[in-house]
Amino acid sequence: MTTAATVTATPGATARRLWIRSRGLLLALLLLVISGLVLAALQSGEQHGRLDPRSADRTGSRALAQLLSAHGVTTRVATTVEEAAAAAGPHTTLLVTDPDVLTADQLTALSAATAHTPGRTVLLAPGPASLQLFAPGVQADPAVPNAPRRPGCSLPAALSAGDALLGGLRYETSAPGADHCYPGGGLPTLLRLPAPGEDRDTVLLGSPDFLYNFHLAEQGNASLALQLLGAHKHLVWYLPSVSDPSSAQDNQPGLLDLIPSGWNWALLQLAIAAACAALWRARRLGPLVPERLPVTVPAAETTEGHARLYEQAHARDRASAVLRSAARGRLAPLIGVPPTHAHTPDILLPAIQAHLTTATTPAADLHTLLFGPAPADDKALVHLADQLDAFEDSIVSQERHAPREHPDR
Amino acid sequence: MALTGRTALVSALGALFVGFVLPSWIGVLIVQLALLIAILCDMALAAPARKLHFTRTGDTTVRLSGEAHIHLTITNPDRRTLRAQIRDAWPPSSFHPGSDIPASRHTTRIPGGERRRLTTTLHPTRRGDHHAVRVTVRSYGPLGLAARQGSHHIPWTLRVLPPFTSRKHLPAKLARLRELDGRTSILTRGEGTEFDSLRDYTPGDDTRSIDWRATARRQTLAVRTWRPERDRRILLVLETGRTSAGRVGDTPRLDASMDAALLLAALATRAGDRVDLLAYDRRVRASVQGRAARDLLPALTDALAPLESELIEADARGLAATIHRHTPRRSLIVLFTGLDTAPVEEALLPVLPRLAQRNELIVAAVADPRIEEMAAGRHTPQAVYAAAAAEQTRAARRRTADRLRHQGITVIDSTPDHLAPDLADTYLTLKATGRL
Repeated sequence: MTTAATVTATPGATARRLWIRSRGLLLALLLLVISGLVLAALQSGEQHGRLDPRSADRTGSRALAQLLSAHGVTTRVATTVEEAAAAAGPHTTLLVTDPDVLTADQLTALSAATAHTPGRTVLLAPGPASLQLFAPGVQADPAVPNAPRRPGCSLPAALSAGDALLGGLRYETSAPGADHCYPGGGLPTLLRLPAPGEDRDTVLLGSPDFLYNFHLAEQGNASLALQLLGAHKHLVWYLPSVSDPSSAQDNQPGLLDLIPSGWNWALLQLAIAAACAALWRARRLGPLVPERLPVTVPAAETTEGHARLYEQAHARDRASAVLRSAARGRLAPLIGVPPTHAHTPDILLPAIQAHLTTATTPAADLHTLLFGPAPADDKALVHLADQLDAFEDSIVSQERHAPREHPDR
Repeated sequence: MALTGRTALVSALGALFVGFVLPSWIGVLIVQLALLIAILCDMALAAPARKLHFTRTGDTTVRLSGEAHIHLTITNPDRRTLRAQIRDAWPPSSFHPGSDIPASRHTTRIPGGERRRLTTTLHPTRRGDHHAVRVTVRSYGPLGLAARQGSHHIPWTLRVLPPFTSRKHLPAKLARLRELDGRTSILTRGEGTEFDSLRDYTPGDDTRSIDWRATARRQTLAVRTWRPERDRRILLVLETGRTSAGRVGDTPRLDASMDAALLLAALATRAGDRVDLLAYDRRVRASVQGRAARDLLPALTDALAPLESELIEADARGLAATIHRHTPRRSLIVLFTGLDTAPVEEALLPVLPRLAQRNELIVAAVADPRIEEMAAGRHTPQAVYAAAAAEQTRAARRRTADRLRHQGITVIDSTPDHLAPDLADTYLTLKATGRL
């Protein structure tokens, strides 16, 4: 009784145990997914499409791009260095939105493409690394907050624009002919460096905020932006992206380089711990016990093999002969024919004919059914087997329902 | 010697020490030294596994699919406390499939100088002798960091007897036997029956059984009662060659034969006949002779338990000679063998008629239900070809059986479920007609 009870209780218990065991894991997974979604939702708001001329977000720059095209300036967006360098032909303004994320190789390629051609390069908040290549001799000073500032210089663009929202990094240089505009704390946040002897200049901006959609309408921001970026007929808007293949570097640090130096020894200790764990799991509680296995020979093996051989060889003649002979062997005792004569048509068929009360089957058909030729195809063989069954059934049922003489009389 | 998971854990925590406190090879060395000393202390404080004393008690026989309890008494002669994991190893077929690891392992704690008894519960899934393999002890130290391990050989044999599932048929067959036996009012009179006693006539008795001579003496009508012959000899012969190894369903033919042999033995003992047993392939594998009725069945099951089919061709001539030696008087011989055409026609047919002349001979064979299943297959060419192959096999078996019957041998060809009752019925019929 108890065994039966435990056996029936098992499936439910297993499902319950499985649930208990996995619910912690499922909960953790759910938390992970939810926190990921929340983080993604929080992060996507402001940063998405920042300074992108196709983005209508608060920090996008679609408003400016549309203003520029209204003034006849064609804007071309580039996301890789090759694209930007190829597009930066003569009389082109190149805007680099985030020069500091570029690698040294990318910066060199970019500056080589723009040097010695007439045009303008506008860098937004460049750090020391980019300044070295694009504006040698310029030094970046600590940032000031963004605020509306006065032009404070003789640059025509600044003068006509008037006050503008600027701030961020400040730049210091002793180069001759440079325009120091929008000073914050005595140092300029906009610096224009003309290249000596060429129709080319470089503009450094401490902060990109006045290019955003939602700041563009304030003060003289729009005017300043239009004049800085619309000085030439073409504008290449370079948005550095991670997918740029040229940003990949060969000398990336491996796992061991990232570990703090002293922890290499702790790692060694962990390896020793792993070896201890391996020793712990490897030691068995006594050797395996062998068992003399019994012989397993299915008794019906030869018959099944026989069946497959028949099938492969399509031995319809053999199969039909065996099936007919078996049917005759079963019919003979039912109709009172001795088993020795069960396979003689001259004795069996008349006996069947005499036995059948209602002559449903003509004699010729009966002969074909019980002694006929081999079927032409497999379908006919299946049909023959069914016919034999049906015929046997009819004899058996007739035998059962036939009015019998009373045994006592 | 064995380590534990705790050692690995402590070693992993040592990584924190090395990382924060001493990030150098000295730190690693210090952790290793401390761990080594702790392990050595633990080993020294663990009770020695090899010094333990073991004694076994418990069941020595169990029916297949029954439950056996084997007790293991462990004495700890040492001063140190034994905290141990103990594995009482048996062959895998001694346990429920899949449960051998939890069933064979025990955790115990034995203070110094004391002893404890552990019980291993076995559920054998195979017939025959199961031998205890070894007892492995893993003795942990007090810190649980390391353990001493050792094995002991504590022999024990559990004999797993055939299940005798056909004993459910025994009450019905015994009822039929009592009907034959003159204990009930129905009386069949046959040539092989023996005179039992005289009693008063009651209406309904067969008038042919009235004993007129006794009636004349007693002045009242007296009838004779009869009972079947008693004290006949029956020899059960199991052929253990390759034909008995084939599996029908999930059990070998031999097991079905054993079941039928046990039912017949139980029935014949009640009927007052004497039963002997012989198992033979090329030599005598098992033999039970001249047992009293009371201890016959235990002796039979005991002899049958370790019997396994051998993958060799049985020696029919030797078999016949051995049977001949075992039957000095006329007996009923029941031969459990196969009905495969080749071995029967080539080996058995030449030797059996001689046995059948002197004795009453029954050949009992196990038919395969799978063949019946295949013969009923229809509707697809594959099934019809299989049906043809099955009919072929059946026809061959029938031909072989007919040739045996032609020699005056009774042939029983039944599926495993029906073999035992069919054989019992045949025996009762023979007894009723006085052919023993």
